[in-house]
Amino acid sequence: MTDPYEVLNIPRTASDEEVKKAYRDLARKYHPDNYHDNPLADLAQEKMKEINAAYHAIQQERGSKSGGASYSGGYAQQSYGGYQYQQRTAGSPAFQQVRMAINRNDLGMAEQLLDRMDDHNGEWNFLKGTICYRRGWVDEARRYYQTACQMDPGDAEFRQALNFVENNQAGYRPEGYEVFSSGCGGDNLCGRLACTYLMCNLCSVGGMRFFCC
Amino acid sequence: MFGYVRPSMARLTEEDRARFSGVYCGLCRVLGERYGQTARMILNYDFTFLAVLLWPEEDAPPLHRGCIAHPFAGRDYFPGNKALELAADESVILAWWQIQDVLADPEKGKGKYRAASLALKSAYRRARERRPAFDAVAREQLERLRELEEARCPSLDEPADAFARILSAASGEVDDPVKRRVLEQLLYHLGRWIYLVDAADDLAKDFSSGSYNPLIFRFSLDEGALTGEARESLAASLDHSIRLMAAAYELWDFGVWSPVMRATVYEGLFLVGRAVLEGTFQAHDMTFRIMGRNKEQL
Repeated sequence: MTDPYEVLNIPRTASDEEVKKAYRDLARKYHPDNYHDNPLADLAQEKMKEINAAYHAIQQERGSKSGGASYSGGYAQQSYGGYQYQQRTAGSPAFQQVRMAINRNDLGMAEQLLDRMDDHNGEWNFLKGTICYRRGWVDEARRYYQTACQMDPGDAEFRQALNFVENNQAGYRPEGYEVFSSGCGGDNLCGRLACTYLMCNLCSVGGMRFFCC
Repeated sequence: MFGYVRPSMARLTEEDRARFSGVYCGLCRVLGERYGQTARMILNYDFTFLAVLLWPEEDAPPLHRGCIAHPFAGRDYFPGNKALELAADESVILAWWQIQDVLADPEKGKGKYRAASLALKSAYRRARERRPAFDAVAREQLERLRELEEARCPSLDEPADAFARILSAASGEVDDPVKRRVLEQLLYHLGRWIYLVDAADDLAKDFSSGSYNPLIFRFSLDEGALTGEARESLAASLDHSIRLMAAAYELWDFGVWSPVMRATVYEGLFLVGRAVLEGTFQAHDMTFRIMGRNKEQL
């Protein structure tokens, strides 16, 4: 079996606190939210299993010596599947087919089925949005979800999808990396960071003059 | 392509910086060796990053020599390898088709593009022979892009998808199936991001010349510029693609290149996107700036 310390990228001499910190950072990195509806979700899930197993092994090894804290399931129970709403009670058979195609990741087929329909109701827009989101087409996904929510304001599934697109903007970043393309809270921190981290420093790197500010 | 993809240099050690510029210089040399001196004008950082992504696990140490841009001090550069050759071949193919695209657009100026087209013609033929699959995807998707432009497509994602598919095709020759899947995604979102950043960078120019730009049809503009709300919305799309790149990056061990990759997907791309949206990024005129710069340095 792979050395659990190697999996967590820490030395054997790491303190319990350091082990926990390394585990948390990796678990944050491979968290299902970062791979929601992502075609690589299976690989992230594999990583998460490895990390959980390594943490578990270290906890056991140390627990038997020192009686320390026991392993708690942590992130293990969460789903990478993302969209899991096959059993919509009021859904028509045609929409069920689309949902099944999406779950198989057959986005071309799902789109064809939708394009054949004339009634572009809330669910139609929701499913269009889901296909776009799976492709990483976030601009169109948001617009379809918005339309779905306008058509059926009380629908929890549509609302949840829209909330996820609008509010799950952070994703994983290593500690200390905080720059976004926009929307930094107005204290001009990003402007200063941009200057410090990229432009000014790049003016004279090895003849590769990138920016000058 | 356009040279938007840069690591945040402040995050890199001297050694990592030297390693990255060694790829840039290596790519320049390989372009020269495979396609002649004029082909070196298409060198840019986007393809340097592509070479980094495709870098072989075992590499030869860098060499040191003077070159046309740095005749006296010289530069460290990596000698040719599969990644540099692939990046060189594909940059020639893409540059060629982008020039053809400009030549086909009645709204755009032609002079220097005609000259570049002539200069690259035989290089393109050789590159096409070496990478027929990539050439086919580039031709097909740029044709699709042209149709979307003619139809004045109001979607951001649809034309970005055409460009994204071209970059994604660069992963086609990777042997390891997991690495190939990771790179397919990473390059897809890199292509999306480059297309959207370039659209934002060209917005003012396209607005005044009447050329197609998806931002013009997607957002309501304020005298040819994005409104605050539109800018936020575009920034959200850019950030989302960078996040998906980072998510893919974390699923493969890029070894010695990890610091460069991290400095790119966790900071460099955000900084470039931000500079473009704020209008402080110095616009690149496709392939010509670097050649001009080399002349200055001589």
